[in-house]
Amino acid sequence: MTANPTEDDLRVIAEQVWSSYLDTDGASPLLPFPAQQRRDDVSASVSVTGAWRGHVVVSCSDTASRNAAAALLGIEHDDVTDDDVTDALGELANIIGGNVKSLLPEPCALSLPHVLMEKTAGRYPSVTEVCSLNGTWLDESVTVSVLESTADFAGVSAP
Amino acid sequence: MKILIADDSRVMRQIVTRTLRQAGFDGHDLVEAADGQEAFDKTVSEKPDLVLSDWNMPHMTGVEVLRQLRANGVQVPFGFVTSESTPEMKQAAEDAGALFLVTKPFTADTFRDALDPILG
Repeated sequence: MTANPTEDDLRVIAEQVWSSYLDTDGASPLLPFPAQQRRDDVSASVSVTGAWRGHVVVSCSDTASRNAAAALLGIEHDDVTDDDVTDALGELANIIGGNVKSLLPEPCALSLPHVLMEKTAGRYPSVTEVCSLNGTWLDESVTVSVLESTADFAGVSAP
Repeated sequence: MKILIADDSRVMRQIVTRTLRQAGFDGHDLVEAADGQEAFDKTVSEKPDLVLSDWNMPHMTGVEVLRQLRANGVQVPFGFVTSESTPEMKQAAEDAGALFLVTKPFTADTFRDALDPILG
């Protein structure tokens, strides 16, 4: 049985993502401490089903989401559209979720990403938080959470 | 050469395009597909020299695209660019005939190592 992922695992995965795509010159890393004010303006998640069931959620402030889209697309912050944000945050959740999945017991399947831009982290019934990384990027809030389902296959909470 | 980039994320298709350039593989004719079915259809119609495909896509997964191509006698060089890389997936990719599996996040060096034997 593979052990559950930890905050350290999330930090390593996030560092790889940031150094590859969001902080390629090393000047704006994701700092591993909470921002002054946590914000979940935009939230993207992928679900894992199979031997392990749950969700990997990336949520951040509106400004951070637009910074991420600008960096990933190589465009100016002011040129970022809502579609850009949806695509960028969904892909971030996909990449981070895929790497988290590699730490989980097999066999598992990863869903396509789901993105909310409604200033909420979304609601995930019958889950427990396995680990989370509350980070700060360019003074903005970025959070990665791994939520494990506590419901059985019929959707009933386990005792 | 003509390269087909298949990924349901426009952002990732752009990152793959940019990374190809950073790895020194510029000047190639790039074609994009936004889901698995489009990847299959465009591989057949556009006849690329290389397919770089995501694994997890709507309509058909990347490995389903590869299997269907091979079942139809299309032997185009095919590699995966995906966020997942379990031993089972690597085995499934190899069994289906993939040349490599690059894991996201990737760098220009990663692309160079995977693609030099094909594009170099």
